[in-house]
Amino acid sequence: MKKILALVLALTMVMALCACGGNETPSESKGNTDNGGEAVTGKYEDGAKLVYWPMWAETEPQGKAIAEAIEAFTDETGIEVEVNWGGSRETRKTLQPALDAGTVIDVFDEDIERVNVTWSNYILDIQELYDASELNGALNATLMNVCKELGGGHLKTIPYQPSTFVMMYNKGAFEKANITNVPTNKDEFFAVCEALKGAGYIPMTIDEAYMAAFFGYVVDRVAGADAAAAIADGDFSNPAVLQAAQVIEEMIQKGYIDPRAAANIYPAGQGNIADESVAMYLNGTWLPNEIRNQTPEGFKWGSFALPKLAEGGDGAESNNFGAQCFAINKNTKYPKAAFALVQWLTSGEYDQKLADATLGVPMANDAVWPEAISDAKTIIDNTTVRLPWAVGMENDANVNTAIKTNLALMISGKLDAQGFADAFAQIQKS
Amino acid sequence: MAKEKQKHSSPMRSKTRNMLILFLTPAVLLYLMVFLYPSVRTIIMSFFKVEGVSDPVSTWQFNGIANYLDAFNDTLFRSSMMNLGKLWLIGGICVMTLSLLYAVVLTTGMKGKNFFRSVIYLPNLVSAVAMGIMWLYYAFNKESFGLMNTILGWFGADPVMWTDPSHKFWSMLIAYGFGMVGYHMLIFMSGIERIGNDYYEAATIAGASVFQQFRYITFPLLKGAIRTNLVMWTVSSVGFFIWGQVFDPVNLSAQTVMPLNYMYELVFGSSNAAQSVRNSGIGASVGVMMAAIVVLMFWLTNFIVKNDDVEL
Repeated sequence: MKKILALVLALTMVMALCACGGNETPSESKGNTDNGGEAVTGKYEDGAKLVYWPMWAETEPQGKAIAEAIEAFTDETGIEVEVNWGGSRETRKTLQPALDAGTVIDVFDEDIERVNVTWSNYILDIQELYDASELNGALNATLMNVCKELGGGHLKTIPYQPSTFVMMYNKGAFEKANITNVPTNKDEFFAVCEALKGAGYIPMTIDEAYMAAFFGYVVDRVAGADAAAAIADGDFSNPAVLQAAQVIEEMIQKGYIDPRAAANIYPAGQGNIADESVAMYLNGTWLPNEIRNQTPEGFKWGSFALPKLAEGGDGAESNNFGAQCFAINKNTKYPKAAFALVQWLTSGEYDQKLADATLGVPMANDAVWPEAISDAKTIIDNTTVRLPWAVGMENDANVNTAIKTNLALMISGKLDAQGFADAFAQIQKS
Repeated sequence: MAKEKQKHSSPMRSKTRNMLILFLTPAVLLYLMVFLYPSVRTIIMSFFKVEGVSDPVSTWQFNGIANYLDAFNDTLFRSSMMNLGKLWLIGGICVMTLSLLYAVVLTTGMKGKNFFRSVIYLPNLVSAVAMGIMWLYYAFNKESFGLMNTILGWFGADPVMWTDPSHKFWSMLIAYGFGMVGYHMLIFMSGIERIGNDYYEAATIAGASVFQQFRYITFPLLKGAIRTNLVMWTVSSVGFFIWGQVFDPVNLSAQTVMPLNYMYELVFGSSNAAQSVRNSGIGASVGVMMAAIVVLMFWLTNFIVKNDDVEL
């Protein structure tokens, strides 16, 4: 009796353990023969069932809009989509190891550079699928070209949610300061800052998370994109470092950068835009969406490209712009179905819904940009030099760390421009 | 008679052995799979050039001790080791002193002992992320409502930028230590409560002051608790991760980076940079070094703080 009892207990334990660690058996695709599913089975692979790893959390506006779109996609096509809501930006850490380990993932998305460059070995060349689809020629041509360029001449991703990195500002503050035109050179930019100060606003702020991008932009504006690229690549004694630091030092001394920014931990600085104590923030066009719950009703957004700050620097024609991108796993069993999902999400009704839900931009060539970021459309249209994310200053963790520390020390008055350049020259490349 | 006894006991022993095997097998298998295998794989990986943590072994390239040297040649890793050292030593002294002080006070038979014990331990019941956010937004806030600056204001002192690069590490240490005091206090309290009252009664009759009682009775008889606390503090210091992520939520900084934050970025790629490089080989070497530190500290603690030679 005891033996039987022991056996039963042991079996129960083993079964319980297996149940804890085991995966769910994938359910069979339901198929859909009632609403056109039969018609589409010829278009997609038989029994297609997709697994999608989104970059968004289920609770974010993007996540909610995508979840609704996927439900409609399944209803329309009969293709089941299993969405792995890992949490906001979690796939940055989890996707690559999962793909390495052979996890079934058909579709994923992330920043245009991360997907096309960092994850390039995992993604499917979709040129043929794209050419044969209704997306061909209908999507934002500039971004499609960037995708192809970053993909080494091959189209491997479909962009969505275009964005650019510009000076986002509070239009109400500009009105109160009687500023009627956005600045196009250093003198005008400093005049804008003075006017804002006069109207009781702190002109600019920054969070530690964006300090590298801010510094990179200033380097570009004082010495050009090549100098910025050289610095990002390891030329830490480049004279442009001191030049940029001197411009930033001047801005700090004149009170154009919020002294509280020395202690800003993301997203504290963004909060100061929302509470209207600060008027401008060099940030992405995603900022209005990120702080939409904090900004008061009637808050009006504007944006302009950071102007040239010294002779030899780039001007408003040089900017970082990009998008999020959908990619299809090169090992997917269902490339056609996966592409159909991507097409569903980046065109027509659900592309528009996603844009509406996020103060974002639809992907269509002739799309109307929401008012909050409508100024940015002109900036992208006039951009001839595309800067990489953070102007390359985040590519090396040691560079990023040095900028964060020393820029904050400059803002708090504990370091001057020369000190910044000296500290920068000490960086050891990772 | 003896033979008969043997006859009876042999099947019993066999039954017991079978039962043991039956019950232990799942646990042993699990231990081998989820602990021993990854540990051995990590140690081996630390001597190879490996990009992704789950890359097949066939793609690994032998790298000797280069991963260890590369880690030490990296400024950020050196910053992380420096931060770990400061956290362990300075944080350790402060947390242990406060824990011991609270433990001694709360075991003197004061009123409301259970209430104060619960209050001091309470931060351990709250998620570290929630605690971190609370400290950042309500205590170290740069705005006028920040608790720390409000307190400084009562004394006429100027506000402090608690989270600028000059203060960020210390702010993080205060926030972390605040939670840890309760945990270590409980260990000290359990040690003190094991010491019999007779010692204190005899000492009181002999005219010993409270300080003398602590110095000559409590402290020497707390060796076991001190050893436990030192090892636990070392383990939690080496495993320090979440607070670094909360105080620098998007990317690493020299002030808050700890070896595990550094390892996490190396193994799984950057949290923010659009183009990032992974190096699981160096990540594994950092993991091995951290494990070695814990083992070394355990050994040193046992060596320095000898076993109790008093039977309580």
